[in-house]
Amino acid sequence: MMNRIAEADGMRRGGAERRDVLTDFVRKIHVNRSVGQMAALLVAAFAIFTILRPAVFLGSYNFQVIALAAPEIGILAIAMMVTMLSGGIDLSVVSIANASAITISMTYTAVSSRAGVELANSLALPLVLLGLVVGVAAGAINGLLIAKVGITPILATLGTMQLFNGLELVVTGGRTLYGAPAGLSTLGTTTFLGVPAIFLILVVVAVAIGVLLDRISLGFRIRYQGANAEASRFSGISSTRTLLATYTIVGLLGGIAGVVFLSRNPSASADYGASYTLLVIVIAVLGGTNPYGGRATVLGVVLATLCLQVVASGFTAMRLSSQQYAMAQGVILIGAMVLDYLRGRGSSR
Amino acid sequence: MSTPALRQRRSGLLSRWPGRNNEGYLAALLLLVVAVMSAAAPAFFSLHTFFSVIRGATVPWIFAMGVLLVLVSGGIDVSFPAIAVFSAYSAVALTTARGVDAGLLGNFALAMAIGCLLGLVNGILIARFRLPTLIVTLGTAGFFRGAMITFVGATYIAQLPRSLAEQSTRSVISVNTEAGTTFLHVLVVPVLILTVLIALGLKHTMFGRAAYAIGGDPEAARRVGIPVQRTQVVLYVLVGALAAFGGMVFMIQGQAADPQMLIGIELDTIAAVVLGGASIFGGRGSVLGTVLGVLLVQVINNSLVLVGVPTAWQRATVGLLLLLGVGAQAWVGRRPRRAAPAAVKAPAVKAAA
Amino acid sequence: MDISPAPRPVLELRDIVKTYGGVHALDTVSFTLLPGEVHCLAGENGSGKSTLIKIISGVETPDSGVIVVGGERHASMTPASAIAAGVQVIYQDFSLFPNLSVAENIAMPRQRAVGGRFYSARAARPIAQGIVDELGLALDLDADVAALSVADKQLTAICRALVSDAQIIIMDEPTTALTGAEVTALFALVRRLQSRGVSLIFVSHKLDEVLRVSQRLTVLRNGTWVATGAAGDYDRDAIAGLMTGKDIDTSRVVSAVPADAAIALEVKGLGRPGAFADVDLVVRCGEIVGLTGLLGSGRGEIAEAIFGVRPATTGTISVGGHPVRIQSIPDAVAAGIGYVPEDRLTQGLFLDDSIADNVVAASVTAFAGRARLLDRARMLAFIQSVASRLRIKAPNLSLAVRSLSGGNAQRVVLAKWLMTNPKVLLLNGPTVGVDVGSKSEILEILRTQASAGMGVVVISDDIPELYSACHRVLIVQGGRIVCELAGDAVRVETIEQRIAA
Repeated sequence: MMNRIAEADGMRRGGAERRDVLTDFVRKIHVNRSVGQMAALLVAAFAIFTILRPAVFLGSYNFQVIALAAPEIGILAIAMMVTMLSGGIDLSVVSIANASAITISMTYTAVSSRAGVELANSLALPLVLLGLVVGVAAGAINGLLIAKVGITPILATLGTMQLFNGLELVVTGGRTLYGAPAGLSTLGTTTFLGVPAIFLILVVVAVAIGVLLDRISLGFRIRYQGANAEASRFSGISSTRTLLATYTIVGLLGGIAGVVFLSRNPSASADYGASYTLLVIVIAVLGGTNPYGGRATVLGVVLATLCLQVVASGFTAMRLSSQQYAMAQGVILIGAMVLDYLRGRGSSR
Repeated sequence: MSTPALRQRRSGLLSRWPGRNNEGYLAALLLLVVAVMSAAAPAFFSLHTFFSVIRGATVPWIFAMGVLLVLVSGGIDVSFPAIAVFSAYSAVALTTARGVDAGLLGNFALAMAIGCLLGLVNGILIARFRLPTLIVTLGTAGFFRGAMITFVGATYIAQLPRSLAEQSTRSVISVNTEAGTTFLHVLVVPVLILTVLIALGLKHTMFGRAAYAIGGDPEAARRVGIPVQRTQVVLYVLVGALAAFGGMVFMIQGQAADPQMLIGIELDTIAAVVLGGASIFGGRGSVLGTVLGVLLVQVINNSLVLVGVPTAWQRATVGLLLLLGVGAQAWVGRRPRRAAPAAVKAPAVKAAA
Repeated sequence: MDISPAPRPVLELRDIVKTYGGVHALDTVSFTLLPGEVHCLAGENGSGKSTLIKIISGVETPDSGVIVVGGERHASMTPASAIAAGVQVIYQDFSLFPNLSVAENIAMPRQRAVGGRFYSARAARPIAQGIVDELGLALDLDADVAALSVADKQLTAICRALVSDAQIIIMDEPTTALTGAEVTALFALVRRLQSRGVSLIFVSHKLDEVLRVSQRLTVLRNGTWVATGAAGDYDRDAIAGLMTGKDIDTSRVVSAVPADAAIALEVKGLGRPGAFADVDLVVRCGEIVGLTGLLGSGRGEIAEAIFGVRPATTGTISVGGHPVRIQSIPDAVAAGIGYVPEDRLTQGLFLDDSIADNVVAASVTAFAGRARLLDRARMLAFIQSVASRLRIKAPNLSLAVRSLSGGNAQRVVLAKWLMTNPKVLLLNGPTVGVDVGSKSEILEILRTQASAGMGVVVISDDIPELYSACHRVLIVQGGRIVCELAGDAVRVETIEQRIAA
């Protein structure tokens, strides 16, 4: 009844801009997949593959594989989620990660060839910081283009993706670079009580972003900005500062992902993770992020990452090809959205 | 008594020149780049370069047409490379497996039929379920590529059927210059015909105008009686067919059927179309602008080679170009905030009385 | 306009019933439209007037009842059959295509209807030019609709309706976004349409203006028919009473403000070229000052300048005695100014977010505690206290604002600003689209806040409301403050006269 009153309200929503029309679509889609549902999906996927191939799937090796592959994708997915929360999208996040990895690798190689491997290894921490700084700088460039120049996020990050990727191609000569501080490789293989260190990094990042969104005013502002940029403006929130901060943070997350890249394999290239960009968009949306801004949960995104990893390794355990996994990804994504649509249609109006 | 109305500054041919999407500026930019490059390296301004540019731009050109159609109607399609690969590869793989050569037209027809079917999938998901286009086509892209390798095959076919292979070197114009023989590929002809047809279709058919209308305001389109769902489905079917055509041309140019081809070009193509003046939000864009955008990118790529810049810089340059282009658009459009529709308009202030 | 005694109606609805999920949106409502008349459909939000329009235009189908149009009986209409019967609705957002030209917007639906597969811009022009000339308008046919003013967009929509052979034109809130001059022009056009035999239904709550041009009036309330009669037989108060079923309390309730009360807001010589000039304004703590004038007079722009939406270029502003520089909205908020905007749904609220999230939107940073972590407990306590103080009716605070009624939603916006403890609160059209019960409560909230020391500025078209709550009323005309009424001089008729002068 209340809905009826609001709809019969003579007040039109005002602004025939595309965003409003799409918000209409999204209301119909009702992208509000609860964390509970995502967890259920994860458990279901797990159960299915356990039943199908218990021997392989339940082996600890399998868990290791999942726990090692998930972090870099998970961090990137969280980064994508943050940008979608702010009402935008960041197509350049993978190229930022590569930039960080390439910077660390190149600097390491340069130092070690000039001053010896020992020194280079001891500089692991400053090198990592350097990579993170590169990530932050790249994110800041995105932020400036979007917040100050006013380019819409999808186009700005399309351009910076090309630019960063292109510069990386130039700098690496199109080759894969080898070499990373020994500390990073150790990090990649360390486990605490069976849990890989890099997985713990994912957990730390997830918790940090969760705290940001839930307990820090910037996080609130990011959500308001994405939910309704105009109302956010009229509430005294500076979109310039908020968006600048958003994309800088995303740049930092990209940098962290780059460090994780290096921890897994001491190599860096401009084209690593080429398919990741679209994949993490899929994961972010699957994890409950409203692609038009305003809602998401970090936990949902992490669960979605794990879910897809479980499916990936399940497919491997069943000797299915990675192409079949790609098919499954597509089906899962579209299936989830169609379900949302059908459910959303049933409930209100 | 006539009502006061706002007049646009559109009197005269000169102010009409920039065109609805600033194609004029784009054309000027293109000419400028050509002029500068020709001055820097006189060898640039040659038929050889011209044909080379066209050759390199042919496949992006076809894909860009498809992207334009989708963009105009308010969507974003990233599945067209997957459709292209699926259709072209399947057409060849299926016929060679049976030892049959379907002939030039037969192969194209088969590929485009597959493309239509794949496009239909997109169309139904987008129109019927009203799912956001970017996400849906992300899903279908992955699905199509995976399905192709799973169900059709993954072998690299180095020998195309004769009817296709012999097109690889056929030319419509062949000229002997000091730099060697340069030619204009025969497939340019159907591409040009297609381009003209699409341009006419967008401008002069109800279907085309409906696409623009949907891109402008889908709800208003519905209210005016435009069959939005049907139009969208047909649109995506057409785009599928175009993608398939592009895949076939790519295959013929490359003289091989590679199941891994055309990876990663979706965003590049969208960049070129946006550069050409199409709005990423829908409702605006033209064939002329798109063609100019594609040519501009191609010319720049060719220029770099000629000037001695390593091809590695091409990507970065296109990125920079895109940023400059959309940045300029955004900066210029940065007027003081528009008033929300229901709010107060700028009043006419009477002279102090 | 002379209407003969018993003409056959051009549109008739008999005993229409429409329920949504068990609730009667329309309960046995009948309605007739005579040829060549302008018929005003009035009612509060939720009265059913929108539903009635949707049924006429075929967007909704009635559960029972009969629609007679063009001499034919229908159990229900579809959008196509409605258009075929000559019914055209001009919605508040006009449903135009912003990316297409005026000529195309006008002519395209007609070319579609005629069954053309091909569209010719060259053929469209004469069609568009024809109707534009016939109506004596001066629209630029080649302009993109996006570039037009609101009034011109409306004219384009009307042209489109006529080109499609509309016999019955329904206009939803036609005068809301028009200036006085544009309203006059619109009404002149309406008379021309009437002489062509077109009948019009105006759905509006701007009763004064609409009564000027309507022949008859129908009032709906809570889905039932209340009254129909000649427009001349009613005045605004009578209609308001019929719409709400209550007698409006039109008494004036203003507290006494000591002459030496501190000054909450002082504005001197404020100006922005093209919008307003030489504006001086003083608001004391405890005062409620009204700002009114015709739409387009600059009154909204003055408030927006003080709030930093489009800052002034000349003049000074001081809040609580301290001069402040306001070049952006954050500047204004930091200075202690709050603003309840006119367009509540787009500018004031986050529709899909919870009441709690909306209420805290302007004050989040205030709750940062140790290590910049927000003290959620404290935040929630404050939200709850403000929400209950403003009597926001909702089962719990995590309900999405979208589902609230207009009055409740407006309280959420108010709550958002009260959370920032502003020294000055500006409100633009605070009770528009708000049910009567909430209207008086909102005014009461303003009175309470004022007596607690806030300075309040209300911009409004609702003159009785200004009379009821404002200590002083300033009239804005042509970008300048031309008149100030205070104390006993504040009377409804006086305000009306000065506005029209």
